[in-house]
Amino acid sequence: MKFAITKEALLDGLQRTQNVVSNRTTLPVLSNVLIETTENGIRLTTTDLEVSMRCEIPAQVEKAGSTTIPVRRLAAIVRELPTSELTLETDSKNLTTLRCGSSFYKMYGLAKDEFPAFPSVAQTKEFKFKQSELKDGLRKTAYAISVDETRYVLNGILFSFKENKLTLVATDGRRLALFETDLEFPKSQEGDLIVPTKAINEIQRLLGEDGEVTISASENLISFAIGGSLLVSKLVEGNYPNYRQVIPAETKERITLEREAFLNCVRRVSLLSTDKTSSVRLNFGKNNIDITANTPEVGEAKESLAVQYRGREFSIAFNPDFVIDPLRNLPNDEIYLELIDEMSPGVIKIQTPFLYVLMPMRVSV
Amino acid sequence: MELQVIWRKVSEVVRGRISPDGFQRWFGDLSVSSDDGKVLTFSVPNPIHKFFIESNYLTLLQAAVSEVISTPREIRFVCTENEDAEPAAPAVEPTSRSRRERVDAPPVNTGMNVRNTFESYVVGSNNQFAFAASQAVAQEPAKTYNPLFIYGGSGLGKTHLLQAIGHQVLASKKSARVVYLSSEQFTNEFIDAIQHGTLVKFRKKYRQADVLMIDDIHFLAGKERSQEEFFHTFNALHDGHKQIVLSSDRPACEIEKLEQRLVSRFEWGMTAELQPPDMETRIAILKSKAANLQLSLEPWIIEFLADKIRNNVRRLEGALMRVASYRSLSEREITRETIESLLRDIFQEQAKRAVTIDQIQRRVAEHFDVRLADMTSKRRPANIAFPRQIAMYLARSLTGASLTEIGDAFGGKDHGTVIHAVKLVTKRMDEEKTRHAVQLLETQLQR
Repeated sequence: MKFAITKEALLDGLQRTQNVVSNRTTLPVLSNVLIETTENGIRLTTTDLEVSMRCEIPAQVEKAGSTTIPVRRLAAIVRELPTSELTLETDSKNLTTLRCGSSFYKMYGLAKDEFPAFPSVAQTKEFKFKQSELKDGLRKTAYAISVDETRYVLNGILFSFKENKLTLVATDGRRLALFETDLEFPKSQEGDLIVPTKAINEIQRLLGEDGEVTISASENLISFAIGGSLLVSKLVEGNYPNYRQVIPAETKERITLEREAFLNCVRRVSLLSTDKTSSVRLNFGKNNIDITANTPEVGEAKESLAVQYRGREFSIAFNPDFVIDPLRNLPNDEIYLELIDEMSPGVIKIQTPFLYVLMPMRVSV
Repeated sequence: MELQVIWRKVSEVVRGRISPDGFQRWFGDLSVSSDDGKVLTFSVPNPIHKFFIESNYLTLLQAAVSEVISTPREIRFVCTENEDAEPAAPAVEPTSRSRRERVDAPPVNTGMNVRNTFESYVVGSNNQFAFAASQAVAQEPAKTYNPLFIYGGSGLGKTHLLQAIGHQVLASKKSARVVYLSSEQFTNEFIDAIQHGTLVKFRKKYRQADVLMIDDIHFLAGKERSQEEFFHTFNALHDGHKQIVLSSDRPACEIEKLEQRLVSRFEWGMTAELQPPDMETRIAILKSKAANLQLSLEPWIIEFLADKIRNNVRRLEGALMRVASYRSLSEREITRETIESLLRDIFQEQAKRAVTIDQIQRRVAEHFDVRLADMTSKRRPANIAFPRQIAMYLARSLTGASLTEIGDAFGGKDHGTVIHAVKLVTKRMDEEKTRHAVQLLETQLQR
């Protein structure tokens, strides 16, 4: 195999694929990138057997072939190269030579046939929508994914295709984020899929503002085709729990908040509630919220925020991180905080179909 | 206290401490499903209840429970709703079912006999060490002895120990990937993988095991590519801190045509030998086997069998089965003679092993009418030398003695002499007279 390529193109491809590679040492080939020549360029593939990523980049191919090389090392070398044009050549023993101006590198690789076959998504349902829309939806939900591995069905985002709507849901048992968007598809394609966290992270990296993304799903695999890249992931097995149970039916108070001002207040106050179990308290008074934190033997903080509020006076405590997460990931200037009482969950909404439920902290029983 | 009463009281406490909506939402459909004095189990309608109660209301619930029941309880949840019953997408259903199968189904495809457990293994001084090592491995795979190499003659319980390890590991951790197979299966699958170009799949299967157990590893001898493949599998697993258990009919260093690098790896961890059971253990084995089959045999039968069959547990059990089935089929009283005639072939086979060089020398001297002293003398006229050569030939074929041992037993001859004798007799077997004599002597000796 021999080809010439620009440093930028190769680096772009490597950066898109390298995050997938496995840290497990049992199969050394999994830390390699598979490089194959195609008609008008090269194709890079990485996999950890759960998530597989493939992308095609243009190159001038002189001799067709394939090899696998440790991807992190290759990316590190390419990143540091001084000039833009480089050639890569692999001999029959999978020894790869990289030449770039006066630089010369040799790397030992493994044969292509050691590399796992790329999964193919058969019998698919196919959905197409705008990259920007999926990116928006994932950004608004992904932070609420559970990291508790014992609750494996929650280690991903639910993609629920029903009644010409795509609903994205993530929850970890203390909060829940839900995003909804309209999408045309035949009734036969309705269904629920749970996409694992790792795949979500990689997709978010790939998604841009323009163009379409094509999702294909089979019984246990899902693929996302974005531009020249293709990501295939196993689905999380199991049924997503009945998340509708979490969403309060009706709320009593609705407060309009300036997102940025509120975010900054909570963030500052939370500096005095460093401990994981501690909380920030929102005290609602007439046209005012006092945001307070009080940690014994550390100190206390209080910020006041002027708001439009005419309801009853009460206070409620939340985990500050759970308040900060959605505020940071929502683009809107204004958000709505809906509350029932001090022991019931709070709900954050915006003007578009989005919902964030967060359970209060039971500071004193 | 009745479960319903417990729940009524607990729910009263909880109701007073959270909002009505919260109570209705999370505790409205709860009930207490069991209480064993340590663990109080609540049944919930959907996993979402479990997740949210655990995350948000567990301390509250715990407090309420300890107010109602004075002794502390661990709280658990079970989901009453069959996960499949929820009207979920058809695309998801089959996978969720397959997951449950994988977790709950008994190990069907492991190729292990369910009867081969530690409980059914009879321990004696001959196998105590191997048994203890196996138990240690089963309790903490890859922590203690890795690899574990068990060797011993045929029918002494190697396979039983291997499978017992497998069962125990699976019993303590259902999700553990336990792979048990014979080295022949390994070779066959390897050849298959080469033929069909599915080496990656093959490797994945073995290199992702948590416990890999290979029975009769000595069959890898002479199979070079299989050995190489196994070498890499071994390294991958050992580096990944996965347990490897091997069995063989002889120590690793005595397996011919086995690469040195494999031999050294096999000897790396723990090597345990299984020896033929002693008399007491044989009796214990027979008794436990008889109890398993619900047979009641007179003690003298068991002792008689244990005395006659010494080297092989499998054969011992076979003899027991034969005696038992004879008795169930015929009404006749079992005597020593009936057992002897029933098990004639087994006893003969057994006797074959018991032939000594001394017996051979006597028998041959008697047959050819020469003095026993001539067997060990240095004189070599044809009428003495040839019987001596026949005796050496028989010693070689009927006993396990080495060439040097045979040479020594024949008055300090060196091993070359013995080889020469064996070759010569083999050659002269073409003559009818010699063949007759040798065959006659063989049958006489084995009786």
